[in-house]
This record gives sequence, C-alpha cells and structure tokens, in this order.
Amino acid sequence: MPMIAMLREVQIPLLSAMLLGGCATKLARVIRVGSVDAGLGPTALFPMRLRRPVAMAMCALECGLGLGLIATAGQIGRGAPATCVRLGTGLLFLVATSALLELRTSRPDIGCGCFGDFSHSPVGWRTLIRSALLSLAALTTIGLSPVQPPHSKPTAALLLGMLALELVVIAGLSPELGEALVKLGYSEPCELRIVPTERTITALRRSKQWRRHAGLLTAEVPVDIWRELCWRYLVFPGRYGDREAEVVFAVFLRQRRPLIHAALVDAATGNAVQWPTAPNRPHWLSRPLAGRGHSAVPAAPTSADATLQARAWPPGQAFSEPGARVPRAAPRRSAAFY
Amino acid sequence: MLKARGERGCCDRCAGGTGTADAARVARRRLLKDAVFRPQAALLPEPNDWLGRDPGGAHAGVYAAASQPGDGAPQDPAPLPRAVTGTVLDVSPHVLMIGEPGGRPGSEQRFALTSDATTWRGTQLEPTELRQGDRVVVRLHPTRRGVADRIWANIGRVTGTIIEHTSDFMVVDEGVTRRRQIVVIPPRAAGRIQVRFPTLQPGYLIDIIGLRRPDALEGLIPATSQPAYPAGRLPEAPLVSGHVPDAISGSATWHEPAGEPPGVLGVAYPALDPATGCAEDAARGRPHGYARMPYLAVGSVLLVRNDCNGASCTLPVTGCAAVARLFNDRCVTCGTSPRGRVADLTEASFVALGGELDQGCFNATITIGR
Repeated sequence: MPMIAMLREVQIPLLSAMLLGGCATKLARVIRVGSVDAGLGPTALFPMRLRRPVAMAMCALECGLGLGLIATAGQIGRGAPATCVRLGTGLLFLVATSALLELRTSRPDIGCGCFGDFSHSPVGWRTLIRSALLSLAALTTIGLSPVQPPHSKPTAALLLGMLALELVVIAGLSPELGEALVKLGYSEPCELRIVPTERTITALRRSKQWRRHAGLLTAEVPVDIWRELCWRYLVFPGRYGDREAEVVFAVFLRQRRPLIHAALVDAATGNAVQWPTAPNRPHWLSRPLAGRGHSAVPAAPTSADATLQARAWPPGQAFSEPGARVPRAAPRRSAAFY
Repeated sequence: MLKARGERGCCDRCAGGTGTADAARVARRRLLKDAVFRPQAALLPEPNDWLGRDPGGAHAGVYAAASQPGDGAPQDPAPLPRAVTGTVLDVSPHVLMIGEPGGRPGSEQRFALTSDATTWRGTQLEPTELRQGDRVVVRLHPTRRGVADRIWANIGRVTGTIIEHTSDFMVVDEGVTRRRQIVVIPPRAAGRIQVRFPTLQPGYLIDIIGLRRPDALEGLIPATSQPAYPAGRLPEAPLVSGHVPDAISGSATWHEPAGEPPGVLGVAYPALDPATGCAEDAARGRPHGYARMPYLAVGSVLLVRNDCNGASCTLPVTGCAAVARLFNDRCVTCGTSPRGRVADLTEASFVALGGELDQGCFNATITIGR
C-alpha cells in the first residue's frame, strides 16, 4: 500500500476521535453547568437568541460526523454517503478555522470552546493551525477507497506509527493538553487553599509556641486575625511587666505540624520587645476551644521547652517550631500559573 | 465562624465610612507582620500615607511609594503624575480652581491650564467648558506640579450584575456593600454599548463608564466586552499548578469611591481570605472568582505596575473586589492581558499610575508583599 494512501486512511479514526471527543467534552460541560448558552467559543459571535441553537447544532453535527466517519469507513457507506460525510467534516473544520480567526479578532479574551472546559485559553496560532490541519486532513479523505484491515504486521505497525506521530503533532497544537495534565496531577497551592480560622487556632493551641507564650496572654480570643498568602496571623492581647502588649503568631497554613513564628509587641508603640524569660501560663489557656470538638492540648511544657523558655530572644526575633520543616516564606518559583 | 474581637463585622474591608479606623488597622497589621518577619518586611513603605494625605497638606492625593520601571525599589514619587480630586469652584482660560463646596477658606487649590491639557466630560472638550460644581479628577503634569495635565469631569462607572432592565433604565447590583445603581443609556450611546454588551438582561454582567448624574449614571462607554456567561453561572476557574508566582499579570480596573475618603490610594483585591467573613462571599456563596488568586487580607501590600507605561506604585489592599472577580475579560489597552482582573484600583490610584479613566483598564502586573 502506498504511503500516501496509508496516511489518508489514518485520518479517518483521528478525525472521528477529535469530533467525538469535542462533542463529549461539550456535553460534559453542559451537564456540569446546567446550561447550553453559557458556553465559550465562537457561539459568542452570535446574538444571544441564536447561541443556544448554534451550540446544540454544533454538538449534534460533531457527533453525527464523528459517527458517520466510522460508519462509512468500510464497505457499508462507500460512495456518495462516505463522500458526503468527509466533505462535511472538511467544511466543518474550514468554517471553524474562519470562525476562530474572527473570534481572535473580535473577542481575543475568550477560548475556542473546542473541548469544553479544557479550552479556556484565548485562541492562539496553535488552535488555528490545528483546525486548519484537521480541515486539510478531512479533505484528503474524499475519494478514499473503503478502509481494509492491514494485510501484514509491518503494515499495521506503520499505520500505528503514523497515527501516533499525527497524535503527537495534534497534541503539540492543543493548548487543552496542558490544562488536562494540570487537572490530572493537581494539588492546590497553599496560597489558594481555603483553611478555616478554627483549624488554624486549633493548630496554634497544640503548638509549643503557644505553650511557651501563653503566660503572657490576657485573653483567649484574638483581637485581630488576617491571612496573607500561606500565613495566617493572630494577635492576642497580653502583658509583660506592667505594660500592655500584643503577642503575634504567624501560622503556616498546612495540615500537619505547621511552622509557627511569634513576636511580642508593645501595644502602644507597635515595636517588638524582648521576650520575658519564664512566663507563667494560666490554666484556661491550655484548654481546647469549648464546644468545638477539639482534642485536649498537652498540659505542661517538657524539659526541652523549659530550656527554650529560659533563652532570651532579641527584640523582634521570632521563635520557630523546633524540628519543623521550614517552608519557603515567600515562594519565588516560576511555575505555570494557568 | 470564629471572630476576632473588635470591629470586624460582616465584611473585613475598608471601603465603608470608617476609613481612618481601617487605615489604622492597615498600618497596625503591617507593623505586626514586620515584627514577626522583620527581615522580609523591612522594605515596606511608611504606613501612614495610604489615605491619600499629603504630608505637606497641599494636595488631596499622593503616592504611597513609587519606583522606576523595573527596579522595584522605592523612589522619589516626583517623576510620577499625581492625582487630585475635588469640585470645580472656578475655571478661567488659564487657571482651574478646585476645592470642596463650603470648605474652609484657603483650602481650595489652583492649577494652571496649558494648551496641552485635555478634558473629558462625556466627550473631549476644552477646559474652559468645565462648569462650577463639576466633580473632577485631575492628573497633574509629571514634572510641573502646579499644572493640570488631564481632567475628567463627572466621570462615573457602574460594574455589576443587571437586576432589572426596562426601556428607560437598568438597575445594577454592585455587591452587597454598595447600593444599587441606576444606569440610563442615551440613544446616541446605545449602539456602541450594545456591540460590546449584547445581552442587557437580568443576571448578566455589565461594566459601563459614563457621566455621573445625581440619581443615575448616564452610560456612554462600554468598559469591556460582556462575558458570555450569566453572573450566576461563572465558568470553573482554571486550576493553578505549582506555587503561585509573586508577580501576577492581568487587568487593572478602577471603581468609584463609595464611602472611601476622596483621593484615597488603595486597591480592592479579588481574593480576600474567605475566613474573614466578607459579606460579598456570604451573599454570593462562592469564595473563588474566575481568576484563581492567592488569598490576602485588608492591609496586605501590593506593588502595582502599569505595564503600558512602566509606572509602579505600592498600594495597600483596602477592600474586596467581589464583582471584579466575576469578570473573565482581558484588558487590551497595550496588548492582551494574560488574565482577567487582578486589581480594582481607586480612582486616584488608577489616575496616578497613568491610567485613563475613560478607557477603563490598563494592563498591570501586581507583586504581592512588596
């Protein structure tokens, strides 16, 4: 079998897979969102009243052509039906290419919507080239004789190789692939993770930092709480000597054994002051939050804690939890940020 | 939800009438963070200037800090244009006098008008066409502080969800902490607006710039293109892999002051910590916007850079941008911004960074924690 004919044969399963994949992801989006008209892509070029029928027609057309390509690939639909389906596929991709060009000009902010939720990125040259290539691929299948099973193993391997190569090219031209890979191996960065305040306070009360400085606090409710990136800050009123003070805890937002920093601040001036050497701890500060189902907090500091408490820290210098892994305070990586 | 003691009520924001009290909290938080992470926070600017108070008392709007493009270090704010807001008391071919009606004698400010000065009040006009009582935002000349460079009169903006649309007006919801706005679109602007906002139906988003009237906004300019989705059906936000970088590029927009002190410098941020109990979050029922942004709080500091002209400015977060995060639009002032709205600046901040109020946005890069 000549190479050109083999290459033409490979296009039929590829085009069919693309069309059915596009239809399936669009349907998945409709099911998830509960509406057809909230879709992205070239339907945004149409007036509002036409968007829903256009989106439904597109989805039906993709499904019909995808199934039609498979059904007419062999002996069953040879002749005019196969030619109609393949011509229709070619025209669909040609129209899609033109629509994407128009979309890129008039609405550069929205994605092509080709694969539902995966196609959020604004239309770029890769999407345009992919659509044009698929159009060319569909047009080359017009007049192709019915597809036969490969006669030998080398022929089958060659066909598979061609299909794989073309898939790689299509993947390279698909911005959706990156988004799909991100979804597969996704772990939410701590900067974006929703962490309830109660969980932070529970973690703080279980920490050595809390036990070490609890004697300075005059209330168990923080006067201010705020969050910045991966850190949550809690400010408690306190006293040192005869002066009003505030104890500031910075808690790293992670599930287990969070890193905690603390500082003692003069309430009047806001300046950091030196930690007193051996604070006393009122008994109520060692209790968990009442009625919140938290487990008990260890009652007394260990001898190692006592040793640490005896150390005098310079003004403004923060304690950190001994043994805890130190995370990067301000991540400075250049990662893919959608 | 556990609440800290004090005045943190329904929403942890500064945009209400307690600007001074919240300014104190902003400054306090920065001091306390500085105490915990002194080495990291040593570069923060002085905390008492975000309200727009000029230390010299000469002008209503000043920069909190400024830097030359690219270096990130605080510099003399003189090279950057300054923003002043007020009401026109008198205007002549050469001098513009602004102040507040009924203000104390001597509090008015005078600015020279040159032939280069441009004025906007619905359309471009001569400065002498300004009227007494017009509320103006003035950008001063970058090098000559007594000279007005650009003047916007009675400009207003409504950004929100359409609640009601009749043949005469629209009612727009700008979030639970702001009162609902009425927008009237005159026939001469209707075509222009409908090209960018084809779906003027309840539930859809709108963002319009126009002339502020006592009881309504006269919509003249579409500030963006309408998102294809209704506000209640926000598309799922793209996931973020790895860690969030410090610098995030996107679109910076502006909002009218609603209870904020005039000339205030600050930024409403689209991703305040949901645990702070922001009223907008509770009302809309979703903590995420379209763009996944790292969580911050009122008082966090952002270095905002105008990518179109290189000007940058350190600004505190002063409130939630609950509506801005519903938009998945791009700013195309100088190229296409890589994502949607990352900052909703106050008028003074937007103008001070070189933004044109009648354009609605500029491409910006925000750097967190500077």
